[in-house]
Amino acid sequence: MLAQLILNGFVTGLLLALPALALTLTFGILKFPNFAIGSMLTLGSYAAWIGNSLLGMPLAVAAIFAALAMAAVAMLSDVLVFSRLRDRGSITLLVASMGISLILENICRFGFGNSTRNFVFDVARPTRWHGLRINQEQLITAVVVIVCVILIQLLLYASPLGRAMRAVADNPSLAAVRGVERQTIARITWCLAGCLTALSGVLAGLDRAVDPLLGWNYQIPIFAAAILGGLGSPTGAIVGAIVIGLAEELSSLILPTNYRQVVSFAVILGLLLVRTQGLFGGKAVRK
Amino acid sequence: MIAARVTPALSVHGLRAGYGNGGDIVCGIDLDQSPETILAVIGPNGSGKSTFVKALAGLLRPRAGTMAVTGNDVTHLSPAKRVMAGLAYVPQEANIFRNLTIRENLKLATEFLRGRTGVGPAQQAQVMELFPEIAQRPKLLAGNLSGGQRQMLAFACALLANPEVLLLDEPSAGLSPKFVGETMEAVARVRESGVTVLLVEQNVSAALRVADEVMVLVAGRKSLRVPAKDISNADLADLFFAKAG
Repeated sequence: MLAQLILNGFVTGLLLALPALALTLTFGILKFPNFAIGSMLTLGSYAAWIGNSLLGMPLAVAAIFAALAMAAVAMLSDVLVFSRLRDRGSITLLVASMGISLILENICRFGFGNSTRNFVFDVARPTRWHGLRINQEQLITAVVVIVCVILIQLLLYASPLGRAMRAVADNPSLAAVRGVERQTIARITWCLAGCLTALSGVLAGLDRAVDPLLGWNYQIPIFAAAILGGLGSPTGAIVGAIVIGLAEELSSLILPTNYRQVVSFAVILGLLLVRTQGLFGGKAVRK
Repeated sequence: MIAARVTPALSVHGLRAGYGNGGDIVCGIDLDQSPETILAVIGPNGSGKSTFVKALAGLLRPRAGTMAVTGNDVTHLSPAKRVMAGLAYVPQEANIFRNLTIRENLKLATEFLRGRTGVGPAQQAQVMELFPEIAQRPKLLAGNLSGGQRQMLAFACALLANPEVLLLDEPSAGLSPKFVGETMEAVARVRESGVTVLLVEQNVSAALRVADEVMVLVAGRKSLRVPAKDISNADLADLFFAKAG
């Protein structure tokens, strides 16, 4: 029972890891919390649903289609909204992202209605292993997320682009003097964030079903994960996501399951009281 | 008289700059600096020294005037393109990437400047010879370096781009007296390696020890330009206080 909860919690955490990573990357480079992360996830799952159900693509192809579509949407929102407000401070950008969130969510409602949708995907029997029940969706989630996380870490720590991204996050004007244009890096970061949230939208749609509030269910846990890890720290976001996932599942031992979201709020509250920089935020050198 | 025939390394004419909708902070500066010299730009607080050097580096768009490096106009270039044109800049305090390692800082110094002549292993070897201590711990986060070491790393990063002109904004700021001396020695070494240095400095006596020429800024205007050896403390007191405003 406990082992099953830990497994479920780990996978739930992995599902949160991609959007938490997206949130922390955009925060690091653009210095504002993107409130539209949940609705980007929702729109991503609808994009995959269009590819999968309407256009008849296999789900894996539809997921790539959704990732590209959301990269374009994220880029477009930067061109039309965020880049114009870049120097107006983080509160302005935060409020703008709330607006984007409402727009994206209502595009979903307007285009696809309020009813829930499901991917065309063969359901397989869960695998049994040492008394643990492992769903096919859980396996897919684990593989996709772990591959994405490894790729992102390689990108950030072993490529010139990653170095440039970290340099802009650290000191944008010095990066400009070194030939790294903030605007280019910001656009690439948005594309990356769009891809990651779209993929997590597909995984969330597999886990639940596609509906206009899909992303909203994850909004608070995503923020809790990114804040727990220390906003701006990619490794922190992944660890934070797994901790939140585990905490949410294990809370069902003592709390009714519909109170799950309380866990994320409690974590954010606790951090605000004791350790505002999060788990990994302190590692960044700030002196 | 010879200087008049040589193309100035850095040449500025009628430069005006300021922030937002405010008035001009730099109010029309003219300057021709001969190659391989150190020009110290000094002046009281708020005289526009940092604004002047930011405008030269391209971080602040000038409102009027022109700038050229070795005769090539750079007035309308972005900061990165100015580096490509031979103008390197070391900002005042946040002059390294604190959360990147020393090696990453050095790599980033040239990685995105492809096509700049003279950038490469030979230049790297020459720079490392000037600052041997920074190559010793390549995996250390740059933010963990002491103030003096950070300054050396910042100089090294700027020099890796093989600049003709190096702009230094208050390299002694926040350093202990011992490091101020070392930093100024490093500035002198940089000039000996063939680079023209424009040194904005609050610490006048330290700057005068290495400078060839001195330009005094008061309220955004050039109030004096003389060889460093011809300047006395009495002159400076007059310039700083009597003529301000």
